[in-house]
Amino acid sequence: MARKRGRGMAACWYGIARTATVDRAAAWAEIDDGGSAKIVTGVTEIGEGILTVLAQIAAHEIGVKPEHVVIGDNDTARAPEAAHAGASRQTYMIGNVVALASREARKRLVDVMADMWSAPAETIRTGNGEIWAENTNHRITMGEAVACAKNRGVVPIGSATFGTDTTGIKDGKGGDGSGRPWQAYVFGCQVAEVEVDTVTGEVQVLAVWAAHDVGRAVNPQGVEGQIEGGVVQAIGQGLMEDYQLKDGHTSTSGFAKYILPTSLDVPRVNSIIIEDPDPIGPLGVKGIGEPAMVPTIPAVMNAIYDAVGVRVFDLPATPEKILMAMREKDRRETMAPQAAE
Amino acid sequence: MVDIHLDAIINGRKVSRDVKPHLRLLDFLRDDLNLTGNKEGCGAGECGTCSVFVDGVLMKSCLMPVAKAQGATVDTIESLAKSGELSVLQKAFHKAGASQCGYCIPGMVMAATAALRANPFADREEIKERLGGNICRCTGYQKIFDAVELARDVQNGRVPATALLETDTADGEVIGKNVRRIDAPSKVSGRLKYAGDMTMPGMLHVQVLRSPHAHARIVSIDTSAALAMDGVESVITAADVPGKDGFGVFVHDQPIMARGKVRYVGEAIAAVAAEDALTAKRAVAAIKVVYEQLAPVFDPDEAMLPGAPVVHDYAPDNITKHIPIRVGDVEAGFAASDLVIEESYSTQAIEHAYLEPEAGLAYVDHDDVVTVVSPSQNITHHRHMLARIIDKPISKVRFIMSPVGGGFGGKEDMIYQGMLALLAMKTMRPVRLVYTREESIISTAKRHPSRTTLRMGLMRDGRIRALAMRMVCDGGAYGLSTEGVMRKAAILAAGPYAIPNVQIDTYGIYTNNTPSGAFRSFGALQTQFATESQLDIAAERLGLDPFEIRRINAMRDGDMTHTKQKLGSVSLMRALEAAEQASRWEAGAPTVRGPSRGDLNHDDVRPSVTLGTRFASGDASSEAAE
Ligand code: FES
Ligand code: FES
Repeated sequence: MARKRGRGMAACWYGIARTATVDRAAAWAEIDDGGSAKIVTGVTEIGEGILTVLAQIAAHEIGVKPEHVVIGDNDTARAPEAAHAGASRQTYMIGNVVALASREARKRLVDVMADMWSAPAETIRTGNGEIWAENTNHRITMGEAVACAKNRGVVPIGSATFGTDTTGIKDGKGGDGSGRPWQAYVFGCQVAEVEVDTVTGEVQVLAVWAAHDVGRAVNPQGVEGQIEGGVVQAIGQGLMEDYQLKDGHTSTSGFAKYILPTSLDVPRVNSIIIEDPDPIGPLGVKGIGEPAMVPTIPAVMNAIYDAVGVRVFDLPATPEKILMAMREKDRRETMAPQAAE
Repeated sequence: MVDIHLDAIINGRKVSRDVKPHLRLLDFLRDDLNLTGNKEGCGAGECGTCSVFVDGVLMKSCLMPVAKAQGATVDTIESLAKSGELSVLQKAFHKAGASQCGYCIPGMVMAATAALRANPFADREEIKERLGGNICRCTGYQKIFDAVELARDVQNGRVPATALLETDTADGEVIGKNVRRIDAPSKVSGRLKYAGDMTMPGMLHVQVLRSPHAHARIVSIDTSAALAMDGVESVITAADVPGKDGFGVFVHDQPIMARGKVRYVGEAIAAVAAEDALTAKRAVAAIKVVYEQLAPVFDPDEAMLPGAPVVHDYAPDNITKHIPIRVGDVEAGFAASDLVIEESYSTQAIEHAYLEPEAGLAYVDHDDVVTVVSPSQNITHHRHMLARIIDKPISKVRFIMSPVGGGFGGKEDMIYQGMLALLAMKTMRPVRLVYTREESIISTAKRHPSRTTLRMGLMRDGRIRALAMRMVCDGGAYGLSTEGVMRKAAILAAGPYAIPNVQIDTYGIYTNNTPSGAFRSFGALQTQFATESQLDIAAERLGLDPFEIRRINAMRDGDMTHTKQKLGSVSLMRALEAAEQASRWEAGAPTVRGPSRGDLNHDDVRPSVTLGTRFASGDASSEAAE
C-alpha cells in the first residue's frame, strides 16, 4: 500500500486576554432614537467577527435586534480606550465591557418607564425591540420608550470599564515565574486523521475533530470559523510554510516560493464547542482565536507517526523529511537483527 | 511614455480613456476608475484577490497589461451587485459566514461565480479544485465551500431562497445564534474600503528605502539628488525625528527608520513622499547611503556565546528576554522517575501572510492633530508611542483603525506608521503608503523560530513526575513582542497537566535576521508542540492510550498551575471526552496502529485526493468560458 492512514491527538490550554498584566477595556452605549443602539469602543474587527458578536451582546442586553445596533469606528480621538485586537481577548474584554455599558444604558431607560408606569423596575422587561411591564398592559416599542425618556430630559446612555484581576509573574533573576497571568483559562483537544503517501512523502490531513471550551458561544458559526481558520493555519506551519533566510536574505519573498495552504490542502474540520462559563465576567464568555491553533500540529505529527512510524521533530514536515525519516527507519530496521548478534 | 487610448466595456459601461501603457489592468481599474473592490494581494498571480472577468473568463488582473483589455468586456466584483442587491452567491457567503477579514473575498466570489457558471452542479470536491487559485488566510476555506454549495442548491431550486435569510431571533434570544455577520455585505460586494483603497485630495505617495545589509553602520545618507527631483515633496531619515525615537510592544528598541546602523535586510532607512508612486520609487533609487559592514550574527545559539557580535548595545549578551518557571525540584523528580525521555524539537519562522499588505494614510487635520489611518491591531499603544516619537501631546495624535485585511498578530507593530506621520507633518499634505507583498514579507515580523529540548520523567502508571524544557528563540533584529512571546510560551509550556516538578526556561535572542513578533498562538504553539509530541512518545513506551495518559495527568478543578495560580473550573476532561467521542477514537497505545485501525475513513472525513492529477483533465482558464 502506497498510502497509509493514521490518527493522532493532542490537547492544549490557553490564557484569555493580555498576559501577566492588568488588562482593561472601556465602552460607551446609547439607546438611540427609533430604538436602535449605538456602541463605541476603542478596538474591534480584524476579521474574527467581533463586530457581530458585540452587536449580539448589545442587542441581548438592551433588548433590540442585532441589526439595529451600530458600532462606532475605532478612533483614539473619538472612542474610549480598549487596547489591542489580539491575545484572544476581544470577546472576553470588549464583549464583557459592552455588556456592562449596555446594561447601564438600559437601566436609564427602564427607570424612566418604571416611573411612568408606576411599576417596580424589576418587572420591566425588554426584548426584540419592545419594552413592557410584566403582568400589565404596558408594552411599547423601544423607539417610543426613548422618546418618553427624552421628553423627561433623559438620554439613555451608559458607559463601563472592565478590568482583570491579574498580576505579573516573577520572571526576574532567580524568579520562579509565579503569578496570576490570566483570570480565564480555556482547554481544548483535537484529533487528526492523515494519509501519508509512502512513495512521495506527501501528507494529507483529511479530518480534524476540534473540541474547544469557549466559555459561552455568542455566535457558534463565528467560533467554528475561528477553529477552522486556526486549524488550517497550523497545518500550513506543520506541513509546508517556511520563511527561509540565508545570511539574513530571504529566498521566500513571494507566494510563489512561500507556500500557503489552498482549498485543496484543507481537512474537513469538525468543531465541537464546549461551554464552561467564565464565572467572573458578566457574560460567561472566554475566547477561541489562538487556542484553536495550538493542538493541531502535534495532533498531525502524532497521526503521521501512527500511519508510518516516523516522527518529525523539526517543522515543517515536508515530503522530503518524511521520506528521509522513512528511509532511515527502514535502514535501522534491516540493521537491527545483525546488530543484535 | 506615450499614453495609449483604451476602449472597453467595464461593468456594462463604455469606457474610453487615455491610459499609461505600463499599467496593469488591476492598476487601471483601481487607480484610474476607482473600482477598488478587487484587491492586490500579491501582484504576482499567486493569490487571486485581483480576479475579474475579461470577456467572461476569470483572469488575474495583476498579470494583465492594460493594453490587452483593448476592446474587451471587463467585469469586476462591483458588477455583481450593481443595483445594491447581492447575488445569490454573495448572499450565500453572507449566510454561511464565509467572509472573515474579507480581503480575499471579492476575488473568491469572482472565482466561485465562475465555478458555478462552468458547472452549476459542481460537487464540493470540484468546487475546491475550481477555487484552487485563490488564497484565503482566515477562514480555512470550509465556510467558503459551504457558501458555494448553498448558492448552488438555491440556484438549482434544491433549497428554497429563504435559506439565505437571517436566523430567526423572534423569541428575543440572540446569544448563541448564528446571526449573520454585519460586516459581510460590504465585504462580499467589494464596497468595504481598506487603507490601500482610500485616497484623499492632494495625496502624496510614499516609498521606502530599505537596507540591503543585515548588519552595517550607516556612514552617511545623501538625499540631495532625490530631493531635487521633480514631483518629490519630502525625503526623511532618522535625523528628522523630532522626539524620542523607538517603538516596540515591550522594549522600544526600534527606530522608525534605521538610526546609526542597520540590523536586518529590509529595514527602513529613508522614506520619500512624491506626487506619484513611480516618482517616489525613482527618488528612493537616487538616495545614496554609505555603509560600513559589521560582523553579523544569524544563529541565536551563536549569538548567546561570549564574543558574538552585539546587535543592541543595551543587551551585550543579545538576550532580549529570559523567562524562568520553577516548581519543585526537577532533578529529584527525574531521579524518582521510572522512565525519562529527552528529545529535541524545532519550529521554523513563518509569515503571517495576511492577504492585505500593510497600508496607511496620514494627514495633519485642522486642529493640528497628526492622524494616521491604518489597519493597526493596537491603536491605543501606537498613539502613545507615536506621541513620544514626534514629541506631541497625546491629544494631538490620533489613530484610526481601518478595516484590517487579516492581522494574526502581524499588525500589532508600528512598523510604518511613524514614517507616514512624519511625512504628513513635513509636507502638510495627506500621504499614503501601500506595501508590496515582497516588502511586507521581508520587512515585517515572523513567528519566532524555536529550538527546544524537553526532558520528561514519568512513573510506570503514566504520571509525569518532572518536566524540564529549554527553548531558544530567534527574535531577530528588534524586540517587538519577543518578551511577551517568551512569557506566554513559558507559562503554558508544560501543558494543562498537574506536574510536581517543573523547570522551564525560554530565551528570546537578538540576531540580524528578520524580526520575530506576535503571531497567533504566541509562543504557546512552539512549546506545546514539543510537550504534546513527547506525551505520545511516552504513551507508546508505557503502553498507554494517548487520551489515557493525558487524563492521568490532566489538571482538575482547583488545581495549581505551574505559575502557582489556583484554577477554578477546568474543562480539559470535557474537551478530551468530546474529541474522543466525536472522532469515535479507537483506544490503544500509539504503536503505529494506523493501517490496522477501525476508526478511519468515516463520512466526516474528506476524501483523499491524488495531488497533481486533478487538473490534468482541463485547464483552469477554460472554466468560465460559458
Ligand atoms: S493574483 Fe493578482 S494580486 Fe495576487
Ligand atoms: S477572509 Fe479570506 S483572507 Fe481574510
